Amino acid sequence: MDSPLVKDITLFLDDKPSVYALRQKAKNALLATGFPTPKTEAWKYTNVKDLLNTPLEINTDSEVCDGDCCQHHQTEPFIEITFCQGKLHIEEYNTPKGLIITPLPVALYENEYKNYLFNSFDLEKHPFAALNGMYLEQGICICVEKGSHISEPIHINYHQHNCNNQQIHIHNLIIAERDCCLEVLETYNGDTSFPYLTNVVNEIYLKENATLTHYKIQKEAETAFHIALNAVKQQKNSQYKQFYLSNGAKLSRQETLINLDQEDAKAEIYSAYTAKKECITDITTNINHLKPNTYSNQYAKAVLEDSSVACFQGKIHIAPNAIKTSGHQLHKALYLNDNATLNCKPELEIYADDVKCSHGASCGEIDKEQLFYLTSRGIDKNIATKMLIDAHLEEIFALISNEEIKTLFCRK
Amino acid sequence: MTVPLLEIKNLHAAVADKEIIKGLNLTINKGEVHAIMGPNGAGKSSLSYVLSGKNGYNVTKGSVSFSGEDLLSLSTEERAQKGLFLSMQYPTEIPGVVVTNFLKQSVNAIRKAHKEPELDSLEFLKILKSEATKLNISQEMLKRFVNVGFSGGEKKRFETLQIALLKPSFCILDEIDSGLDVDAQKIVSEGINQLRNKDNSFLIITHHEKLLSDIVPDFVHIFADGKILKSGDKTLAHIVETNGYTQFLKEE
Repeated sequence: MDSPLVKDITLFLDDKPSVYALRQKAKNALLATGFPTPKTEAWKYTNVKDLLNTPLEINTDSEVCDGDCCQHHQTEPFIEITFCQGKLHIEEYNTPKGLIITPLPVALYENEYKNYLFNSFDLEKHPFAALNGMYLEQGICICVEKGSHISEPIHINYHQHNCNNQQIHIHNLIIAERDCCLEVLETYNGDTSFPYLTNVVNEIYLKENATLTHYKIQKEAETAFHIALNAVKQQKNSQYKQFYLSNGAKLSRQETLINLDQEDAKAEIYSAYTAKKECITDITTNINHLKPNTYSNQYAKAVLEDSSVACFQGKIHIAPNAIKTSGHQLHKALYLNDNATLNCKPELEIYADDVKCSHGASCGEIDKEQLFYLTSRGIDKNIATKMLIDAHLEEIFALISNEEIKTLFCRK
Repeated sequence: MTVPLLEIKNLHAAVADKEIIKGLNLTINKGEVHAIMGPNGAGKSSLSYVLSGKNGYNVTKGSVSFSGEDLLSLSTEERAQKGLFLSMQYPTEIPGVVVTNFLKQSVNAIRKAHKEPELDSLEFLKILKSEATKLNISQEMLKRFVNVGFSGGEKKRFETLQIALLKPSFCILDEIDSGLDVDAQKIVSEGINQLRNKDNSFLIITHHEKLLSDIVPDFVHIFADGKILKSGDKTLAHIVETNGYTQFLKEE
């Protein structure tokens, strides 16, 4: 491995054989497959050469920040979990009944969640998740007990303000037991002129009838690399709904892997992103319909400016026995000038009859009739243009039923 | 002598090199209601776009002054801020822009141009509610996206609501009766009649005499082939209703 991202360092709990074995397993997978190149099909449109050549360090200090650097005044009624520069703030979580929040190092020590680690995805198919696994240490485990409805959203707040020249790897587990219901919001905020990498893996397990609404607002610094994998395994009649807003980072890739393992499982992915300057935005999905009567829907809307490059690649796989399934994807882009590039790659692998599948992509400029209508009512052209850009993404935000979270998305 | 509100002199305009307005003269004074009637394809809607400053409608000759000021040198939004309003035949649907937000932006843009303080949300909503009720516009409709999923009647009532809120000094009503049933037309006509006063003027573009019996004009102009062929009072509309446009075209 000749990337400065791969380092030989000693981590917390390396002396514990089961933890060390997990890290070695991930490392071996990465050594076997290597990092993606432009020839790697899944990474065809997103070149990570720049990232692989950037010297980024791992902060092995177990000392987390004193809390002053990321003090904030929370007004929303959320259950707060904070990571500052990639380190979890250990605090007393004031959790409602049925919700258990455990820091990953504690979970690793107790072997409690061992069966859930690296179980929702294949390490050899996800090189950055393997890199993340090599450094397995920081993260949070969220577990909702059977039948519990957690009414307050769980907010995982990633403060990336002083992550200069660092690589940050976070591995979270979300386990939703039978008949439970929860909302998780991830927010990433960065503000620095130095490069850094955020590499997050969320392993999500939804048991029978469980419902998770997963929100993510990515506003990393313009110098940041952001790589994320949401790997979801769904049992019978479970529902996963994801809302993603991307509005930052020099290079970002949000990959979602969903296994609809049992009948009537349902997954929806709604994405909105704005890309400016020369940034690269990648949204990749892999949805595996493995049983009959499963449903998936993906809808993405983009606003592309300057010389930005975006990539939307969505794979829908329907297994031979998975009849009566339904898989849809749609991408709509708004171009604000001629230099932006969008690569759209739908992939449908259908091995069953009697299924409904669709894919589509459209792109266009600001609608001149709409602009005329607004300006003919006295609204300045610049404001009218901004209203129409916001309107393009509003269609996604309108689907968010939690009003407080919707406001955060609209604020961008 | 008072300056006319709108004075169009020898106006020629083209869309993509095709001349559509061919030497139009029209003067409208404060408080007057004028109607333009004409056959399909005469250039009636094009005239409304030329006056609003829509991109692609190029004036090749002539002048238009609005309250003594050169209208043609102004942008679309500046014309609106000076008091010109175009109610469109087919109001544009704008998915993603909520009616209330649009109206507030618009009202405040015009207040700002008039150096009046902008309204805060509470003040605005109070005014909006009262005007909407008069036009039988539901609160639910105000939460929808602009013109999206509106019926023909709702679209025209919504245009009328905008006139009530923006209080323009000059309104062009382009086929405000199209797509309306009798009851809806009555609501819209009554709405317009309530907004008529000695300070504001209207230019009504229509095919049908029926509308002009509800909103009675001071002057009627027969418009065909890019210019006005004949002007008169409201009786001219009755002649059109009985005999059609052909006679005017022949006279030319």
